[in-house]
Amino acid sequence: MKSFRVFVYVLCVLLATFIALNLRLRAVELLPIDYDEDDYLGAAQRYAQAMRAGDLQAIIDYEFNYEHPPLTKLLYGLAIAGLPEAPLIPERPSTDAPASVLPEPHFDVARKVSAALGTLEVLALALLNPLAGLLLGIHTWQIKYTSQIMLEPLPALTSLLVVLFYFRARQSEKRAVLWLGLSALMLGITAASKYTYAIVGVAVLADWLWDAYSPRRADQPKGSPPAAWGQIFFWGLFAIIIFFAFNPRLWADPLERLSQSVFYHGGYAQSEHVRRAGFPPWQQLVWLAGPVPWHPDVFRVTLDLYILIFASVGFKRFWQRYRVFALWLLLAGIFLLLWPTKWPQYVLTLTAPLSLSAAMGVQTVLQNIRTRPRPAARAPILWRELRRAWPWLLPGLVVLALIAFYPMIFQAAMSLTDFNTISIRDGINGGVWREVWRGITGQTEPLVVDLWQYFDRFRRPTSTDVHYVGFSSLRSLFAGGIPDLLVFNILWAVLSVFLQAALGIAVALMLNREGVRGRGFWRTLFVLPWAIPEFVGALIWLRLLEPGRGWLAVIENAPFDVWLATFWAAPGTRLLLLLLAATWYGFPFIMLAATAGLKLISSDVYEAAAIDGAGRWQQFHFVTWPLLWPLVMPAVLIRLIFAFNQFYLFYTMRVDFPTVTHATLSYYAFSPTFGGQFAVSAAINIFTVVVLVVLILWFNRRSRAVEGVTYA
Amino acid sequence: MRRQISAWEQFLHQLGLVLVGLFVLLPIWGMVYLAFEGGTMGWPSTFRLWPEEPTLRIFQQVWAQASQSMPFLALLKNSLIVSGGAMFFSVILGTSMAYAFARYRFPGRKPGLLILLVGALLPPVALMTPLYVLLTILKLRTTMLGLTIVYTAFSMPFCVWNMRSAFQAVPKDLEEAAFLDGAGALKTFWRISLPIALPSIAVAALIAFLIGYSEFAMGWLFVDTSANVTVAMAVSGALGVSTFSGSLLSALAILMSLPVIALFLILQRYLLDRLLFLSVGDQT
Repeated sequence: MKSFRVFVYVLCVLLATFIALNLRLRAVELLPIDYDEDDYLGAAQRYAQAMRAGDLQAIIDYEFNYEHPPLTKLLYGLAIAGLPEAPLIPERPSTDAPASVLPEPHFDVARKVSAALGTLEVLALALLNPLAGLLLGIHTWQIKYTSQIMLEPLPALTSLLVVLFYFRARQSEKRAVLWLGLSALMLGITAASKYTYAIVGVAVLADWLWDAYSPRRADQPKGSPPAAWGQIFFWGLFAIIIFFAFNPRLWADPLERLSQSVFYHGGYAQSEHVRRAGFPPWQQLVWLAGPVPWHPDVFRVTLDLYILIFASVGFKRFWQRYRVFALWLLLAGIFLLLWPTKWPQYVLTLTAPLSLSAAMGVQTVLQNIRTRPRPAARAPILWRELRRAWPWLLPGLVVLALIAFYPMIFQAAMSLTDFNTISIRDGINGGVWREVWRGITGQTEPLVVDLWQYFDRFRRPTSTDVHYVGFSSLRSLFAGGIPDLLVFNILWAVLSVFLQAALGIAVALMLNREGVRGRGFWRTLFVLPWAIPEFVGALIWLRLLEPGRGWLAVIENAPFDVWLATFWAAPGTRLLLLLLAATWYGFPFIMLAATAGLKLISSDVYEAAAIDGAGRWQQFHFVTWPLLWPLVMPAVLIRLIFAFNQFYLFYTMRVDFPTVTHATLSYYAFSPTFGGQFAVSAAINIFTVVVLVVLILWFNRRSRAVEGVTYA
Repeated sequence: MRRQISAWEQFLHQLGLVLVGLFVLLPIWGMVYLAFEGGTMGWPSTFRLWPEEPTLRIFQQVWAQASQSMPFLALLKNSLIVSGGAMFFSVILGTSMAYAFARYRFPGRKPGLLILLVGALLPPVALMTPLYVLLTILKLRTTMLGLTIVYTAFSMPFCVWNMRSAFQAVPKDLEEAAFLDGAGALKTFWRISLPIALPSIAVAALIAFLIGYSEFAMGWLFVDTSANVTVAMAVSGALGVSTFSGSLLSALAILMSLPVIALFLILQRYLLDRLLFLSVGDQT
């Protein structure tokens, strides 16, 4: 039995590796030449020359592209050193457009080295968890940057090995020192390949200290440093030595050259080149929420969005099983959020732990399905009840079926066509139904249109007839076709509802305290924003905050004008301004719900708590919050739906091109920049409903866990 | 212990409340200032906390002519017809549905409730095209009745969810007692359940009213004569015209908010007691 399991395990590992290798080799052939590939291959060519000539000094003093440590480039150089000579690639600034052609066979071989390293990384992860390996193997960003001549493949592999070896060392005392040494070796190599990947070392350190100081070790005498410090010291020292050993450029004048190389990045992150890209702080999430958008025909499987979703579902289990990996994911995530340079290849710093978390997510979901409680305990549902209920239901159902559900079904039909302003006459007069019917019954072949055609003013459909396009629009959307909107929308809903709830509940608690003066007055004042219609509220805020002519901006001798202009210009700070308005408008609703809830909590509970000697904070934590949350939760849920669909705020605040992608999906579907592409709007709406239903079900499940009490 | 409050705590609480109060009032004050300042075309170019010569002139102007020669009261009448009608329909139809969902254990009840909510997951603007087509077919597109029906459909699901919990809170014993006394289903509902649930119904009505009262994007799609313009549409319209006046816009917005604020103040007691939407846990 055991040997059978081992056999299956090995088979799965090999399968994942095989798939990964295949996808990478395909990408090596098909991917166009990208930015920086010429720089790295050029460097490799010169290293190869120096190696053939045995000229160590040339390697040490090679200047070009000094901002990145040389190890990965040296590796590419080693791979092409034995190949016949080819013309050298000129050294150009790395911000230049990519080269149109690169010398063969150097180009092909270097790319294959990249693919080999990428495949090894998949193998390493698959040995720990085959499913995680598979997910890493099919992740399109991972494929792209481990098939091109990039710096990522080597540090991505070695950073995974750092954690794997460390994890191994922590699991068994046997030969722990060997594994720790290997881990430090890999950390040194990682840092010598690309600096940012060294964040993995911080994760290891955090995990180590976590263990050393966790309550389970409380038996140690206080004040004395835990034994771990000694190990940590040697581990770190070894890693640093390795870093210098594998970084020939530092062999001459190490400190000067190191600081020159490291500080380059701080300056670059602030540079015009980076700022002009205009990416929001959460851009790395956007990359992860969809497949690589630029090469649609290269990638066979595009599940990136679902890997991200499963990773968030499985994070709890991930934390319990593989804490050091989870810390890695968290720390790298925080780093990517804060670091101003947002190039997509940076996501490779965390795709490995992300895939592992996603594998945990898949397991969690499977387990939930298997252990679903049987609905046996419920009272029987009676058909004769329906006879008594239907007269009450019928009138409302008729109206709803007509006005709410007919449009939904019509939307679904529209999303299968290319219906737009030009074909509006045909579409309104039954063309949509005709085409969908003919399409579904197989009388017409679906017209081949990809989603991006609708966004391009010159490639939009121009026929005056509606055409059936099949599920292509929906498929693109569900594969993560509009990740920027999706990420913004979820971020918006969560942040705005969180702020509203925090302020609303805080105010309700203050107003609930007996003895506070003027409670009625304050409550009446605070209800005002809710009584003002949403778009009027948004208008008021625009009046206050608009740069150039808002109320604050025209204050003389005050810096508000400049501040507001810069705030509106950057996506991250603009989000804050919009959140300010949304919080203002939304908190009274939660405040009222929380006040009503607090009234229901009897004072006996507090007296009991006071007798038990609970302090103010303990009272809130153990008494008020658990009783209050289930009562406020429905109001929060309703605000969540409203926030997800927030329309008037964005409409009034004139969120316009190109920042229209930093708005909600419903605003985007409506937005005039979109130019009456009804079919895509409809598809986006269908997508919105599905996302919302999933969010609501998830929220419901999460909050049920907290509920515990049935009150009310 | 909870009854006393030290001077220090009083101070801290008041400080917090004042800060939140400033946050609430700051934008509103900007609007009020602009309206009483009177004749600002466009946005004002200097900052003042208080108008130099407070005047009601702009209010008089808006009152007489809010949008394209329509006086404010005419617009308000349109708004009240449309949103009041939506409120009326969604409360009548919603109450009936909510009662069924609360009282009868028919098959498909729980999925039904969820599907009902799905109907309200999209804002009205998202469903513009299909509604346009639908109301054109029904020949209701340019009528106020059409707009009323649209708003009804969007507010009804929330009303049902809200009122269902109110009906569930009605003690079953009371209803059974009435039933044993020989009252029919309708009479029990009318005499027992409805009065108890009335405050929640009032809240649901308010929410339904607000949805219609503040909507304008759909309005512009469906209304084609200036005689049918609502207040919300007039405010949004004032934003886009070339003769844009900050004062006029502010005055219009304030006038639009006043009826709602009044309604809130009247209903505040109900709001506090009945905002416990969708009561927790299925009490079945």
